[in-house]
Amino acid sequence: MTAAEPDAAAAPADIRPPVWSHAGIGLVVVLLLGVLAWALAENVPGWTEGTALEEIGAAVEYPVYAIAVGLLGNLLLSVLGVRDRLSGGFRTEFFIKTGLVLLGASINLSLIVDSAGRAVAQALLLVSAVFLFTWWLAGRLGLDDKLRALLASAVSICGVSAAITAAGAVQARKEQLAYTASLVILFALPSIFVLPALADAFGLDAAVAGAWIGGNIDTTAAVTAAGALAGEEALQIASIVKVTQNALMGIVAVALTAYFAFRVERTAGSPRPQAIELWRRFPKFVLGFVAASVIATIYLNNASASTGPETIAVANDLRTWFFVFAFVSIGLEFRVGALRQAGWRPVGVFAAATVFNLVVALGIASVLFAGFEF
Amino acid sequence: MSDGDTATPGVERARRIALNEDWAATIAGLALLILILAGVITADVIP
Repeated sequence: MTAAEPDAAAAPADIRPPVWSHAGIGLVVVLLLGVLAWALAENVPGWTEGTALEEIGAAVEYPVYAIAVGLLGNLLLSVLGVRDRLSGGFRTEFFIKTGLVLLGASINLSLIVDSAGRAVAQALLLVSAVFLFTWWLAGRLGLDDKLRALLASAVSICGVSAAITAAGAVQARKEQLAYTASLVILFALPSIFVLPALADAFGLDAAVAGAWIGGNIDTTAAVTAAGALAGEEALQIASIVKVTQNALMGIVAVALTAYFAFRVERTAGSPRPQAIELWRRFPKFVLGFVAASVIATIYLNNASASTGPETIAVANDLRTWFFVFAFVSIGLEFRVGALRQAGWRPVGVFAAATVFNLVVALGIASVLFAGFEF
Repeated sequence: MSDGDTATPGVERARRIALNEDWAATIAGLALLILILAGVITADVIP
């Protein structure tokens, strides 16, 4: 087995035919574990009060419990031999995107407008730099062009979603997609905890920390988890930056389709990528995120000073639940076997690209979001 | 791997699920928000 040909058994839930009854049970597992994680987040500070663990108990927030509970659930289901069968219910993308649409309701439209220019500039610079670096490095290490495209898209844009889109654009094989998706989660998990800690250690203000987190962590769910750990303002900027990067996915997909059709494969009669592809591959939840902000901003401008914020607080509570379920799903989707199946070259490319992304994103965020006021 | 490989059914299925999930999340999120603003979903029903 070569690095480019990992075991097909590694295929994540997304790329196997779903068995709906199993997926339904998987969904129930996610919901139950989410309730457990929430119960821990609510009660551990009280349980540890007055003990040696009081400070830790007070500091640990719900994303940590949700991911930890997901990982433990993953271990338990793997030992029982049912994890793969239930994995169709681990819908990280659905939960996180629904949560992000609801998050849009808590972000005043003026914040999106004020930060949009910087977010677009950062996304364009960062996606271009990281994509080209990853593509170049993977080429130097002799990786297959399709795997190069998947790795570069995943690292530079938005993780698993981008890998899925790129896989369709370059006609990749499902094993390559499964492998890339596993790598994304493998690298995203530590980033959730490391980046907020580093942002704190570097003394970054909320906007720069948020822009750094949003520009650096690959997968949208992990960005949200890290942003939530860094604070509400950092979460808002991280989400705006990540949503902007998501919006570039369609453009990259069309560019990849054209590049592979005309340069890499050169098949006679390959259909030209059409403009409609931009819309087809555009992540629609971005529209939902902006629409929610518009709706909530209009609502708040017309509601009373007391009822308006109270109502939006309900949306925030519901949003948190969707995030809890998404973070539990991240833990459940984690596959330790990916490293063994990968070989060192793609892992090396991904690691190097992540470090490159880390440094470049910090530089760009520090310049573009310096002095940003909420 | 041959360069002439076409996308496997697994990749196509993943792409379709991702697109459907995208729309489903958008619709679900906006529908929930509207229900909240309309007062149908209140703080009492969220744990």
